Amino acid sequence: MIALGLFLTSLASKSDDLKRASLVIFVLIGLLTIPTYVSGNSAAESICAGGPKAPACDDAALSKALIETHEGVALLAFAAIVLTAAFAWLGLWQFRRISHPQNWTLAVILLLALFALILVVRAANIGGEIRHPEIREAREIITPNVHFARRIGAFVLSRPWGWPSLETLHFIGLSLLIGVILLIDLRMLGVMKNVGFPAIHRLLPWAMLGYGTNLVSGMLFFVASPEQYAHNVAFVWKLILMMLAGANALYFTVFDEAWILQPGDEAPLSAKAVAVSAIVLWVGVLYFGSMLPFIGNSF
Amino acid sequence: MPLSLAVLLLVLAVTAVIAALGCLIDKSAERDERNQGR
Repeated sequence: MIALGLFLTSLASKSDDLKRASLVIFVLIGLLTIPTYVSGNSAAESICAGGPKAPACDDAALSKALIETHEGVALLAFAAIVLTAAFAWLGLWQFRRISHPQNWTLAVILLLALFALILVVRAANIGGEIRHPEIREAREIITPNVHFARRIGAFVLSRPWGWPSLETLHFIGLSLLIGVILLIDLRMLGVMKNVGFPAIHRLLPWAMLGYGTNLVSGMLFFVASPEQYAHNVAFVWKLILMMLAGANALYFTVFDEAWILQPGDEAPLSAKAVAVSAIVLWVGVLYFGSMLPFIGNSF
Repeated sequence: MPLSLAVLLLVLAVTAVIAALGCLIDKSAERDERNQGR
């Protein structure tokens, strides 16, 4: 709501600084939404043994149908927020390249942010009804059963090509992401000094497409089989490092230090530190991703 | 259709969409940069 308010104010006042600030907030909210969504499944398993997959909850005051409905609407809200964040990042990238975001980008951000807000309010309302039968009784008739997440999960698991296709796409996304990120980080550390940063900066959307591909494929794994991930310590660390690495990528989009590097220029110490931290964070993401079955309880 | 072929076709189709999106963003920015330079 704050980001949307700020964004609307920036559009009305035509302030580029406010616009840039609201876009950064949208991106950060998108990153924070990942653990928020994932923690919902852990909460569901805590209050209702077996989580959304359980046939019924032991506590009669809890509605299993509402848990599934809440999960479904939350998944839609998650998708809308993450898409808003992706277009907000694109807006920031365009700010750098052409000194202002394109109008169609701003229009898409506005529509997606409004849609996301409606879905979040809806998910929050249904979430409140799960433990409160007194408000549920009055509303249950009008609350539709949208078991969207369960249907998506069942679809992925029931098709023999579902899981292997997602695994392959996860690796393609990873290659795209790590390939571009390494190019940027190595340039900061003094490799390919004859290349100016603006030339490499142009590749950043490819890295974000890789991040998006992996977020979508990764979330489909999670939705299909949340019990493998919800209490998996390797998954928790992977998420933490992934969020930090995502925030780290903002540095190369927003800050001037890297952008002004011309061919032959040495990167400042702060840019080098960010580059080293990015490499460490992404190696951590790769490590915990591949250790999911060994440290945790997946597969 | 064998499973491996189905997976390959699906992956190729999604990869083509990702590549098209990447090219679209890049070309659009290039065009705007050129217009700005004029």
